[in-house]
Amino acid sequence: MNRSAAPPRRPAARTHRGAAPTRRARDRRAGLATTVMVLPATVLYTALLAVPVALACYLSLTDWDGFSAAPSFVGGANYRALANDPSLGRSLVVTLLLAAFGTVGLNVLGLGFALLLNGRSRVNTFFRMVLFYPHVLSALVVGFLWSAILGTTGAVNGLITSHGGDVLPFLADPDWALGTLVGVVVWAAFGVNVVLYLAGLQAVPRSLTEAARIDGASRWQVLRHVTLPALGPSVTVNIVLSLVTLLKTYDLVVSLTGGGPAGQTQTIAYLILWNSFHDGRLGLGSAQSVVLMAVTAALAVAVAQLRRRGESAVYS
Amino acid sequence: MSLDNLTKRAPATAPPKTPEPVAPAPRRVPRPGRTVRLVFLAIVATIMLVPLYVLVVNAFKSQSQILTDPFGLPTSGTLAPLRRALQGEEFDLVRGYAVTLLFVVCVNVLSIALAGPVAYVIARSPRRRFRALMLFFLAGTFIPSQVLVIPVVYVLKTVGLMGTVRGFVLFETVLTLPFSVFLYAGYITTVPRALDEAAALDGCGRNRTFWRIVFPLMRPVVATMVILNTFSVWNDFVNPQIILGPGSGLYTVTTGVYAAVSQYQTDYTVVFPTLLLAVAPLIVFFVFMQRHIISGLAAGATRG
Repeated sequence: MNRSAAPPRRPAARTHRGAAPTRRARDRRAGLATTVMVLPATVLYTALLAVPVALACYLSLTDWDGFSAAPSFVGGANYRALANDPSLGRSLVVTLLLAAFGTVGLNVLGLGFALLLNGRSRVNTFFRMVLFYPHVLSALVVGFLWSAILGTTGAVNGLITSHGGDVLPFLADPDWALGTLVGVVVWAAFGVNVVLYLAGLQAVPRSLTEAARIDGASRWQVLRHVTLPALGPSVTVNIVLSLVTLLKTYDLVVSLTGGGPAGQTQTIAYLILWNSFHDGRLGLGSAQSVVLMAVTAALAVAVAQLRRRGESAVYS
Repeated sequence: MSLDNLTKRAPATAPPKTPEPVAPAPRRVPRPGRTVRLVFLAIVATIMLVPLYVLVVNAFKSQSQILTDPFGLPTSGTLAPLRRALQGEEFDLVRGYAVTLLFVVCVNVLSIALAGPVAYVIARSPRRRFRALMLFFLAGTFIPSQVLVIPVVYVLKTVGLMGTVRGFVLFETVLTLPFSVFLYAGYITTVPRALDEAAALDGCGRNRTFWRIVFPLMRPVVATMVILNTFSVWNDFVNPQIILGPGSGLYTVTTGVYAAVSQYQTDYTVVFPTLLLAVAPLIVFFVFMQRHIISGLAAGATRG
């Protein structure tokens, strides 16, 4: 039975006893091949991603300074320190404001320009490219560039003062700086949302919109009652993505405001890395990153749930 | 060619339109609307491009002209700032390019070599343990890399790879794995199984079947992933800054720009040329490959 299932081309002489390989031997060889294919990636991934996630939770309960091999266990001290840390409160506010306004900006502009650029033409391709290009640049460069444009001696203020005006505190006043941060984030990233919404628009069946037009709906009515409801899943994806991305804003803060003025634009991600690698309190940083991970997951799930409920309300 | 000419000439030879009092077709888009749309888009495009314009013109000016006339064209164009930025005292930009390119190539090759076979096994095996493995990899797409960097420092220190190129490349590769495995496995399920079976009948082992038969068919997804990984490694700032550290003397383009620009933030003859040299290759690459890059990066954005 087993022998009859042997591969036809395999020469019998290749096995020890001159007989065709048994199924078990072949299975073992196939199993070995599978292991060779699966193991390297799985081991590396476990060591450098799965273990670190668990390790972050453990380190958040220690006083690790980044150097000692055996950090001592301090229980919930880091989390208690977090609750009493005034800079954490401010950075939470900054991060949430940035995420909220940024998400609104990215999605309003993203959807708006997607509707404007829907359809294949050379003009549309060109404008899509122009809207998208900042995303190609590193956030660090984008931040440095805008700080050279909006800084106290920057290009815009240079233009204003040479016409006898007063310097505008784009980056020097805490509230202005937060606004500037939101603006630059949106400038740099809404091209991605345009592209994602365009992909969503491709999936809206033409027959639906055409049927509505034939039934005498105006362009606005078609948009409001046909296109937008059909875009539901796209909207969810875009909102969740914007939120998750904005909650971890770091590079842009470093280069645009440097967390300033006076630490007033530090995001959580900035605070995590500052505490960890500037102050050498990696235990505290771990506690903050555990909090960030939890907040991100909770918000993403909440938004997805809300949207789903909203959609089922539309369709029921 | 001839067809083209025909359609182009037709209106010219046609008699001028007689103003017939026909009811206007309700479907036709009114011209003013189209013009308004174009003008609006042109204004937006200008806003988007102004920073790039400022970057380019100011890279060729003296500090005093940048301060007094930031938006004007350079009056006495000079290449001195650009040359100085290229050889920079803070960091050698040419060397930064070489180092970054090396990282990009290593991460891409390793990522394909590791993620391809796993994705193949996952896609082709009905076994529960491989479905669980897929979920295990998928979970990684939701972990922000900033959260990982602290414990990864701990792991790399323990195994003695902290501050080394090997440690950095391995970590960057692992960051690419979740999404690669996800995309590759999805794509492989669209490749007909009959191909594998034919190869197996011919005595081809599993590993060889993947690399010889299936992998050559995966060009579109692999291209997407390569674009994605290239940009994420090239633009990464946190990981090289922390894992390689300033002590190693190895700068990527981003950490080098940070070292050069953050110290001289008001010396615009350093800022603008350095930034311009850092982004110019990316922009050129983008203009020529925009269709692939946009779809690749948009696919990557959905990984969160």
